[in-house]
Order: sequence, then C-alpha cells, then structure tokens
Amino acid sequence: MNATAAPAGQRAAPSWRRIGRYLPILCLLAPLLAFMAIFYGAPMVLLAEESLRNSPTDEVKRPEPTAYHYARTFESARTFRALTRTFRLSAIATVIALVVCFPIALLLIRAGPRLRTGLLLVIFVSLAASLLVRNYGWLVVLADQGPVNRLLIAIGVFAQPERLVYSEGAIVVALVHYMMPFVILPIYGALLRIPPSFGEASQSLGGSSWTTFVRIVWPLALPGVFGGTILAFAIGTSAFVTPLMLGAPQTAMISQVAAEQFLVQQNFPWGSAIVVVLTVATLIIVALYGAVLRKVFRVAV
Amino acid sequence: MSRSDDPSYRMAVGVLGWFGMAFLVFPVLLTIVVSFGGSVFIEFPPQSFSLKWYANIAEVQQIGRAVLISLGVALATAAIATVMAIPAALAITRHDFPGRGTLVAFLVSPVTVPMVAIGIAVSQFFVWIGGGTGWFALLVGHTVLVSAYPVRTLVASLSLSNPSLEEAAASLGATRWVAFRTVVLPQLMPGLVSGFLFAFLISFDNYPISIFLVKGGLTTMPIEIFNYISQNLDPTPAAFSTIYVLIVSAVIVLAERRFGIVSLSVKG
Repeated sequence: MNATAAPAGQRAAPSWRRIGRYLPILCLLAPLLAFMAIFYGAPMVLLAEESLRNSPTDEVKRPEPTAYHYARTFESARTFRALTRTFRLSAIATVIALVVCFPIALLLIRAGPRLRTGLLLVIFVSLAASLLVRNYGWLVVLADQGPVNRLLIAIGVFAQPERLVYSEGAIVVALVHYMMPFVILPIYGALLRIPPSFGEASQSLGGSSWTTFVRIVWPLALPGVFGGTILAFAIGTSAFVTPLMLGAPQTAMISQVAAEQFLVQQNFPWGSAIVVVLTVATLIIVALYGAVLRKVFRVAV
Repeated sequence: MSRSDDPSYRMAVGVLGWFGMAFLVFPVLLTIVVSFGGSVFIEFPPQSFSLKWYANIAEVQQIGRAVLISLGVALATAAIATVMAIPAALAITRHDFPGRGTLVAFLVSPVTVPMVAIGIAVSQFFVWIGGGTGWFALLVGHTVLVSAYPVRTLVASLSLSNPSLEEAAASLGATRWVAFRTVVLPQLMPGLVSGFLFAFLISFDNYPISIFLVKGGLTTMPIEIFNYISQNLDPTPAAFSTIYVLIVSAVIVLAERRFGIVSLSVKG
C-alpha cells in the first residue's frame, strides 16, 4: 500500500508480481506481435541494412556500410525528380481533396438520417471498390473519346480530342478520388462531436451561418481535418498503381522508381535506399505537419 | 444548426457537397454505362448496346483463374488477421500496460508505410531466409498489410462495449469461455465483421505487394486485370468493374443492415 515504506528485502517481490500481472496480457498479444515482429519489423530492418550494402551491379566496391545509394538517390536527376514530384503531387491532391470533401462532410451532418445513411453507403462502396476499378473509371472519363473531351469540344475549348490521360493532371485527379473517403470520414466524425448547442448559441448571439462556420465549425473540425489530410498525404506519397495506370514514364512517382530497381534493374541496395528515403521523408513531413498544427491552431492532435 | 441557416450558406453547402458526391460516383457510373457499349474501343456515349464484354470475361481464362486465387488468398488473409487481432484488441482495450501506445502505433503503422516498401521488404526477407515463395509469401505479405484494420475496428467496438457485463457474467457463475462466447463475442460482432470485410477487400484488391511476391505461375486478380488493361483497349474491364462494384455494394449494404458497420467506422 505504501510503497516507500517497504523494506529493502522485499524489493524483488513486486517485479515478479508485475511479470505475473502482465503475463496474461502478453499471451493475448503474442500471436499478432510475434507475427508482425517477424514478418514486418525484421524485414523492414533488413531492408534498411540492405540499403547500406554494395550492389552486384556497382562497378566500384565501396567499404560497407556505404551511404552511396543514398547519395545516388538525390544525385540521380530522374530519381530526385520522381521524389519531388511525389511530394508535390501528393500535396496538391491533398489540398484539393480537402476542399472537395469538407462540403460533403457538412452535407452529411445536415442530411436527414435516411439520406445520411445512403450517402455514407455510397462513400463506403467507393472506399471498398477496387482501386483498379476506380482508376480504370478515370481512364474512361479522360479517354480521347471520353465525356470530358466531348464536352470540351462541344463548348469550344478544344478543336479536336486532346490527350488527357498519362499526365500529372490525370494522376492528381485520380489521387484526389482515391483520397476522398479517407478525408470525408474523419471530418464527418469530428463534426458529429460538435454539440448542436454551440451553433445555436452562436446564432442566438447574432452570428450568421458563415460566422458560425469560421468561428465554431472549422476550428472544432480541425482534428478531423488533420487526421484526414495526414491519411491523404500518406496515400499520395505511397501511390503506385495510380501513376502506373494514369501516368507516363516521364511522370513516374517514387514508388515506381523503387519498384523498377527491384523488378527490372535488380539493384536491391539502391531500391532499398529509395524506399527508406520515401518512408522516412513521409514520416518526417507527417510529424512536422502535426507539430505546426498543434502550435499554430492549438489543436489537440 | 440547420434550422435557421442563412440561405447563402445552405446553398453553398448543398451545391459544393453534391458536386463532391457527383465527382465521387462519376467515374464508376460512367464505367457501368461504357460496359454496355458495342464498340471495341471505349466510347461515350455508346453508339450501340451489347453484352458481349460480359461474355468476354468468361472467355479470358487468366482472369477467372486469378479471381479464384485472389478469393482464396483474401479469405485466408482476412481470417488469419482477424483471429490474431481479437486477443490483441482485448489486451489493448481491457488492460493497461507500459508501452501500450507504442505497441498500437507499431501495429497500425503498415497503413502509413508505402505499400511498395512492405512488398519489397517481405520479398527480400523470404530471399534472405531462403524459400517461402508463392502462396506462403503472398499470405504473409497480405496479412502484414491488412492486420491493422481488424485491430482498429475491434478496438473501436470493444471501446464502445461495457466490461462490467463480463464481470456480471462471471459473478453469475459463467466460465471464462462461456462469458466470452455469450457476452464478449456479440459485442465484438460489428468490429469483427467490418474488420474482416476490410481486410478481405484490401487483400483482394492489392497490387503493389503482390507484384513482388507472385512467382512461378501464381497470379492474382489485380495483376491480371492490370495486364489486361495495359494490353487491350476494349471495355471488358468495364464489365468486370460493373460486376465487382455491384457485388461490393450488396455486401456493404448487407453488412450495414445486419451489423451497422458504417456507424461503427465513423465513431471509431
């Protein structure tokens, strides 16, 4: 009861008791934890180790561990461009996704129960529908004979069908679409937690709906905005199938370059270094973003 | 808030919100329309009507075989991930222990790590330890990827449930197993169903991990569909997409009716 009063001789006893206490918890965790440690933790560590080795394809053998493949990632024009393109397109798509999704979350919160469930089901289906299916949909929409081209010709913007697919623009559009459910749901969740009385109080004090939005709804939705945009950004930086389907070789994103090192060039150390750079850079940006948001907006995220 | 909204605000939310929803469904709806077109190229609006692309799915043999393989992999993956997630979620929600936050962060981290990184790491791991290619590697890679989802949904539904019900069952003389089956399991159901469902769907649809792990004639649905799209221009993938979306919609609606998975995911 009074831990400080315990005699020195009994110090060892609590640690045994503690093991006894945590043993059942450990047993519950054991299967998943062991699986993830062996097949996820260990492979990731091995990947990082691999990135410091010489590749059989290197002409010069350097003393290991070597940072050569990291230097190469930033020095190779193609790899570095793919890296900056990845972060640029992800940031653009995340901002667009936020702008498109916030009104959807507001619409959900104002809808009656039946409409709300209906809209949520549509959002869930698009979350669950295959990414290949959705990207293929954009191939159709943006096709040379597709509806967007037809429309732009009809209203006189284009004289003849233009190539819209296989470009950065097409990648951004498809990324926004991929991100949407992941942005809508956290914002909707945050809006659900705002007590209706807050809005009523604002209105009874003479605030317009716009004032209420700026002063109450938006600040209280920020944790959801943060959660959604973080997920969206991570989806963007790890995009692989989307740029593969809607982009061209000259719009390659970093995951494609890494995959190419493994599947085509067989340069495992360089591929590993690229993957490590991507993963670490994503984690750093996410952490910085969280820190800035906490400081500037004073949000508990 | 909505009772006395300014008309301009109501207009803005309505127009922008519905525009966003239209953007979300547009490519899928268009794919459905295109799948009934008669032309050998993608054409909108379709000039003629045909069901031949649906018949063509059955003609393309790799797709049928790949769908069966993907079904098997996704079912096994979802089952393994969910079974391992149940005790872990119980430990996380019902017990306090040092390092719990770190543990949860580790277990859900595969969601934010680039999928290509997971695929490469797992395939390299099997090269390193020797063997383990094919089915086993595919199952392992997919389980790593999806295991975070059942953990999350189970933690969400356990956090909403009431542990004192278990104590009540125990004090009424129920054994641990009986208490688990009759009290805990029913409370777990929504989390179990949505966790299994998402694990299944994410595994079934995975391309970036599978591409590094399929070897020796093993193939999956996304890989075959991807190959078909890059080699052919006809609307067969549109027909396939239509069937896929219809099945997924039916499953999601059923799961919502029975288990309320939509509301659980929003709260969780």
